[in-house]
Amino acid sequence: MRAAITRYEAAHEAMGTEFTLVAYGDDPQHLTAVGNEVFDEIDRLEDQMSIYKPKSELSVINRTAASKSVCVEPKLFELLVNAVDHSQSTAGAFDVTAGPLMKAWGFFRGKGHVPANSEITQVLRRVGHRHVHLNRAERTIRFDVEGIELDLGAIGKGYAVDRAVDILRRCGVTRALVSSGTSSLYALGAPPGARGWSISLRNPYDSEKAANVIYLLNCSLSTSGNYEKFFKQGAKTYAHILNPSTGKPVENMLAAIVLARCACDADALSTAFFVMGVERSQEYLATRRDLMALFYLPRSGGQGFRRVMLRSFCSNGIGAFFPRTRQRKSRATGAGTSVTLPAAFPAGGEQHGRTIHHYGIKKTAVAPG
Amino acid sequence: MKDEINDDLTRRNFLKTAASAAAFAALPGIAVTPENSGPNDAVRYGFVGTGTQGCTLLRFLTTIPAGRCVATCDIYPPNLKKGVETIGSRPDTYEDYRQLLDRKDIDAVLIATPLYLHARMMIDGLEAGKHVFIEKSMFFKEEEAEQVRKVAAAHPKQVLQVGLHRRSSVLYQVAMEMVRKGALGRVLLVQSRVTTHSSWRRPVADAQYERLINWRMYREYSGGLMAEMGSHFIDIANWAFEGEPVSVIGTGGLDYWKDGREVHDNVQSIFDYSGGGRHYFHCMLFNGHHSNGVMIMGDQGTLDITDDRGIYFREPVAKISTGPAKENWWAGATVSKTAAQKGVRIFPQKEAKDSGFVDREVRYARQWLASMGIYEPEEPYDPYWGELVNFFASIRENKAPVVPLEIGTADAMAVIKANRAIDTGQKTSWTNKSA
Repeated sequence: MRAAITRYEAAHEAMGTEFTLVAYGDDPQHLTAVGNEVFDEIDRLEDQMSIYKPKSELSVINRTAASKSVCVEPKLFELLVNAVDHSQSTAGAFDVTAGPLMKAWGFFRGKGHVPANSEITQVLRRVGHRHVHLNRAERTIRFDVEGIELDLGAIGKGYAVDRAVDILRRCGVTRALVSSGTSSLYALGAPPGARGWSISLRNPYDSEKAANVIYLLNCSLSTSGNYEKFFKQGAKTYAHILNPSTGKPVENMLAAIVLARCACDADALSTAFFVMGVERSQEYLATRRDLMALFYLPRSGGQGFRRVMLRSFCSNGIGAFFPRTRQRKSRATGAGTSVTLPAAFPAGGEQHGRTIHHYGIKKTAVAPG
Repeated sequence: MKDEINDDLTRRNFLKTAASAAAFAALPGIAVTPENSGPNDAVRYGFVGTGTQGCTLLRFLTTIPAGRCVATCDIYPPNLKKGVETIGSRPDTYEDYRQLLDRKDIDAVLIATPLYLHARMMIDGLEAGKHVFIEKSMFFKEEEAEQVRKVAAAHPKQVLQVGLHRRSSVLYQVAMEMVRKGALGRVLLVQSRVTTHSSWRRPVADAQYERLINWRMYREYSGGLMAEMGSHFIDIANWAFEGEPVSVIGTGGLDYWKDGREVHDNVQSIFDYSGGGRHYFHCMLFNGHHSNGVMIMGDQGTLDITDDRGIYFREPVAKISTGPAKENWWAGATVSKTAAQKGVRIFPQKEAKDSGFVDREVRYARQWLASMGIYEPEEPYDPYWGELVNFFASIRENKAPVVPLEIGTADAMAVIKANRAIDTGQKTSWTNKSA
């Protein structure tokens, strides 16, 4: 007799947020053991990568790599290589050395405050991936100035999601969703009987409303948004995503969402695209494969927001798709009008002044991978 | 920390003006004096034992018009004087409590004497036709349980209430509702403690009064820390587990205050309950780091009560179900998790203004508690005050007391058995029950 489908759902606090895991299988005991394994690994990664823990390997690197080369654990070294690559390829829009800037603005343990321009200038001297030197042969890291601090806050949670997915695959789980506090997700397979995992993208002005719904299948999605971490000073609101070249919070952007094959890339690029804005992100995507981006941008002088979608060349589709073509009836005439939604930024998008840019192969929908 | 102190002061000020019982009409567990009741039909009571604890109760009694203190009694003249000054109603005074009990115009007697006197005075009070309020622990010796039970059974129309004041605390009532309604899941451990850096010694003007004043130090009169401190939390565990223990192990010693006292200053005990639950209690007099409190721990959550602050922590537990569910997940900027780490105060002392995610989470958590009918905005009165109001209400409205004989007996018996376990080093079982 075939065993009934078991659904396992668990949450676990780590990295300042709550990781969620949903997995389907046929053995509750096995799923529970896999869940324990996943959360143990996430805890281990937090212990290794946290800048809030002086004993972590990353904290040791930050304390010592300016004075001597530090040997790095292979997996963390791989992540640092990846992080520095992203820093280079985004021309520092994502910068793994932006930690001191976060501190200057009080986003590290603090309540947030506006630093003086002179302070920002000072701090910017200690920011820049060019100061980080990775020796692949020796697996060592060295900083060429004092005061460099690596901060994996904009890539580590995505990385942890990827490591969780590795464990799930290794343990034979084929249908699961991993989320790091909603900011990075990976959808492994699809829930039983479904085409993909249904994901509501949070409205930047209302945490209980979805701005879009998207389905994911073997695909990851990360969001960088200005609405969870910010402070107010005077009449102005300062959000926690800082532009590493100006040293100041990014303005005129509500959220940048990136879909990619792995959560690590999606995480880093969502921060980078938030900083880069639509035009620069467009240029970036023109030279890449298998990426999608969605921006929520403020409307000038009013409430609401507008959406912009960008897509790179996708070889086989990247496993993100939107609700299928809908039959929409015109209320006025009652006549059925079939509207094909291009890449389906959902119904009503056009009316809200949506802009959609297509790169690479033009498709009206992105097929599941 | 500063806020806590300020909140505390605010609460105390509030209590000073808390004489109006009508204000608390809507609260659970509190019997409210009918509006037409004035001093004329107040319960006329005598108070026996006006030492430190007695005067604590007398201070609360000054704000309760449902009772009128007409007599006080203490064998130690300075305490007798202090009691009269505290209550301020010019009561008649006695050195012999039996003379007080002889008075036909007294309806009730409140007893706050040394433990070894409890059973005798309680029995005499009941036999004299009085309603009786007896401080905890209810009795001193195991055999007294049956003596008191028989006399109480022979006087069924008289109220007998035990002074386990946490039963009259709204905070603890909410806590127990959380337990009953499953907010903590299956409760399997209660951890409680009383910790203080204190000699537990009261000043004695004349050495001849040492044993009288510092009776808590001597085994002839006292059950030591287990009776004076442990009894409160033994009752909380009994309340949470809805029963009494089946066995207890314990250890203890006189480790620090080697000043001639006979009782321990460092005790630990573990009580087992028939449903698989356990209660670990410890008490020390050389370190006050953890203050007083209790943690009630289930497989779905923890309730951590320290002094008068209760915080609920959800236990992250995997949910396992059969068959596919409707999957709809959210994506957005990283949601901070500090709210869950901090827990949710079940009595938030002030409404935080919504300034971000943490406040929002706390608000949702409160809404969730409220939806289960277990949310109260704050502790509205001191539980000592509450238990006394409840006592008079039981008399006037002819209803069961909030802490009846059975609860007091289970509590006192557990104190006695825990002390026996500590003294013998043996696991001590309740008779007719499997450990």
